[in-house]
Amino acid sequence: MSALLEVRDLATQFTTRDGIVRAVDGVSFTLDCGETLAIVGESGSGKSVTALSIMRLIQEPQGKVVSGQVLFKGDDILKLSDSKVRAIRGDRIAMIFQDPMTSLNPVFRVGRQIGESLILHKGMSRKEAFERAVELLDMVGIPHPRDRARDYPHQFSGGMRQRAMIAMALACDPDILIADEPTTALDVTIQAQILELMIEMQERTGAAIIMITHDLGVVADMADDVMVMYAGKQVEYGKADGVFYTPRHPYTWGLLDSLPRHDIDEKGALLPITGQPPSLINVPAGCAFHPRCPYAKDVCTTGTPVLTDVGEGHLAACHFSNDPEFQRRASQHPGEVA
Amino acid sequence: MFKYVVRRVFQMIPVFIGVTLILFILRAPGVLPGDPVRMITGERGMTDALRQQIIEKHGLDQPLHRQYVIYLGNLLQGDLGESYQRGRAVTEIFADKLPNTLRLALAAIVIEGIVGVTAGIISAVRQYSFLDVLVTLSTSILVSVPVFWLGMLFQIFFGIKLKEWTGGAFYLPISQMSSAQFPDWAHMILPAITLASVSTAYVARIMRSQMLEAMGQDYIRTAEAKGLTRRAVTFRHALKNALIPVVTFVGIDFGVMMGGAILTETVFSWPGVGREIFLAVGQRDWPIVMGGVVIIVFLVMIINLLVDLSYALLDPRIRYGGGPE
Repeated sequence: MSALLEVRDLATQFTTRDGIVRAVDGVSFTLDCGETLAIVGESGSGKSVTALSIMRLIQEPQGKVVSGQVLFKGDDILKLSDSKVRAIRGDRIAMIFQDPMTSLNPVFRVGRQIGESLILHKGMSRKEAFERAVELLDMVGIPHPRDRARDYPHQFSGGMRQRAMIAMALACDPDILIADEPTTALDVTIQAQILELMIEMQERTGAAIIMITHDLGVVADMADDVMVMYAGKQVEYGKADGVFYTPRHPYTWGLLDSLPRHDIDEKGALLPITGQPPSLINVPAGCAFHPRCPYAKDVCTTGTPVLTDVGEGHLAACHFSNDPEFQRRASQHPGEVA
Repeated sequence: MFKYVVRRVFQMIPVFIGVTLILFILRAPGVLPGDPVRMITGERGMTDALRQQIIEKHGLDQPLHRQYVIYLGNLLQGDLGESYQRGRAVTEIFADKLPNTLRLALAAIVIEGIVGVTAGIISAVRQYSFLDVLVTLSTSILVSVPVFWLGMLFQIFFGIKLKEWTGGAFYLPISQMSSAQFPDWAHMILPAITLASVSTAYVARIMRSQMLEAMGQDYIRTAEAKGLTRRAVTFRHALKNALIPVVTFVGIDFGVMMGGAILTETVFSWPGVGREIFLAVGQRDWPIVMGGVVIIVFLVMIINLLVDLSYALLDPRIRYGGGPE
């Protein structure tokens, strides 16, 4: 059986005044029904662009998917007609965005915004769509949903707006829910609630989730698979346990080291990854991570590492991923995320 | 809401006092040249007795502050005095002129709204296209063209160059001479276009920039992610947000047109409020000048109030309360 979503060698570029930005450069992954994939990386690593490319929401002509395939149930979304893509958007693949404060249209009532895709994709009347929107708001835990559906977004708090966004995304019972940093703009306590809600909604609807985040901790108990991105490329990809417990790429170690730990009684300082993510116009030669990598050797400055299998489908793009010395280093990082 | 309206109405009182006070200072002897009494009687044939009679009739023998108090008292009763020159009540004169100004302003607003908004939307949706460049360029030119000059160009072109075709009807657009074949509203076309010209350019530019801004908002991406068509995203989600500042501009502009049509009305001999005030200034016919300004100020304030209230309809984030409780 083929996967629900299979992305093959996706590459998206933006043309800017300063040059061509290779925002996504050769990304491949698969997503099965009901699965959760976490895409992790720093700002500007190409996570969001990957998501927008799947939805074909890249703003042309500045941005363009230059190669690759996005096979949804076997059909390549990148080759479908506009109207067929629109039929998938919001219906089969829905999306939640980062900032709930700005992602809802301020001049329309929340209920109407949720009902919009139901009218569009399910052919409901306005009234039916409103009733369904009330049910959805109730489902995502908004009290007094009937009154709230008549409110405008500014009458909602940040957490409630993100709940409304989730209700909106789940309206048509999609196969895939893409969540682009859904908790980044929220308070920590609200973050936990929203994540819990997403897990609950996944159990209820069986939707597959692509969770985009820069915070490994957020996805630790949610993801089945994890893909780590750096400078538009996949640097590590595999089952969540593999990536968390036996990471094979120094960038992943860095991400794990920079997480605050509450489970161990250690007064150790956080270990940030030094330096800045590279410009995507002038990506460093060789391994893009080498200027920041504490283990970089000569080969890293010249040879571009390819994604290689380090065991059981766990992929890593480092020259030393299969180096025993590295394995030892890796083994010193067990259970970084509890 | 009700409290808000009441408060706004009360705020009109100091504005009226201020405006009328300034006008009274302007008519104090020696501030502006010209003696209204002489304007009434003419240079010759004026006896002292006649002069005295006129002065007393219009209450000009009273000290200025006394005249002012009398004026305010009459104003409260809806009496704007009597014209020096025309021997008619000012209210009566403007009752004749106001409908003409109103008609012209309405026609201009319709042009401004339809043409300006459409041009702005096209310009934004097809950014950097030929049409966008055309709109941007023509609006830049239009905002810098003096209104009276544009009006005169129209007259030369339609009234003289195209006389064969127009029968010269647009030369003096409201005169009944030689224009029998034109329906009544046709006389309004050129003055209305002239009056609307600059504002239309502004509306197009505001519309364009607002539309572009709205199209870049996160909620537009949300709407696209729902699978809505480009058209629905543009006209449903972006337009309603982008229109808010445009409606504000058009509303305020309507108020401005009530009084600011002086140039257009004069160039086209349009018998409206603006032209009446223009003529009255030349004749130092103070009751007409003051009455006209008071009427305009009143209308502008009412229209501004309505514009402010319309925000609440357009933008749900705005609600008018009764102030801090």
